Amino acid sequence: MLTPVLATITLVTLWFLVFVCMHVFGLRSGRDNAQWLVRSYAASFAAMLASVVVLSMWCDFGLMLLLSVLVAALTSACLFVLYVPAVYTILTSLSVATLVLLRRSGGRLPEASLYDRFASRRIMQQRLCVLVRAGHLVPDTCGFSITSRGRAVAHAFAFVKRLWRLGPGG
Amino acid sequence: MTLIYVACLIGVASAWFVTSADLGFLAQSLLIEPPWLDLSLMLFFFSAAFFGGVLQLYNLADRGLSLRILIDFAEADSRIIDTDWLIANYGNGKGLAWMYGKRIAGMLETNLVERKAEMIELTSKGVRAAAVLSAVRRFLRLEPPS
Repeated sequence: MLTPVLATITLVTLWFLVFVCMHVFGLRSGRDNAQWLVRSYAASFAAMLASVVVLSMWCDFGLMLLLSVLVAALTSACLFVLYVPAVYTILTSLSVATLVLLRRSGGRLPEASLYDRFASRRIMQQRLCVLVRAGHLVPDTCGFSITSRGRAVAHAFAFVKRLWRLGPGG
Repeated sequence: MTLIYVACLIGVASAWFVTSADLGFLAQSLLIEPPWLDLSLMLFFFSAAFFGGVLQLYNLADRGLSLRILIDFAEADSRIIDTDWLIANYGNGKGLAWMYGKRIAGMLETNLVERKAEMIELTSKGVRAAAVLSAVRRFLRLEPPS
């Protein structure tokens, strides 16, 4: 039997699949990942909540509406926090990029050439550009300086590192 | 981490079994029926909070390249920092090569690659993983078609 919560979860799953399709379509079209990720998720989240409210009213779930909305929001948020790290691993992980490069090069490469490619100035400049676009750094004539927003993030994660005793990390 | 997850999972599942569904104060309209769905949802929410929350925070703090760059900026004596200084002093003075050495060590540890003389070579597990990752990256148009 389709209970109100089961019906809600089915709706959430369908809307999350719509979001994944939208996000993948955006990535394939070369859109800016972070911006497109947030926009497409916000749109599908709003549509999902509206669908849950309409379904609850249509099926006369009564007071179950509150529970349905809570379960829908929580389930969608959980799916999102599981999806995003997987996407970012594929997009930005140096280990993933190394495995893919090794495969393209016949399965083996000199260790020194991997260091030349991945511990390089180009990789550092790419990351600095990402941090500038995110508003954490600002370019200067002689280099870069950290913004107050960047400093807040740095202090927060330095605290987490100390808490877990992770050492320099990175 | 896996041990912590399993131990906590057993703890929350035990708490679910020994407590009443309404916890003594919840209205009937706020109870999820049937009970198996209530338990499944609780386990899913807990797992998502662990793998998508705590574990990701740990991974970011331990391996985040961009975050480490920000921390190096925040902890540096100078206000202005250039790329050369960062390459040499990344990771509290360890340098960018140290960062990549950690990645190689991680891949060796998980048996995705092996070191043969001066070469790094994919293992059979690495070949399978690389094939899947390449296919996904090609599908997302991040790689040139093979």
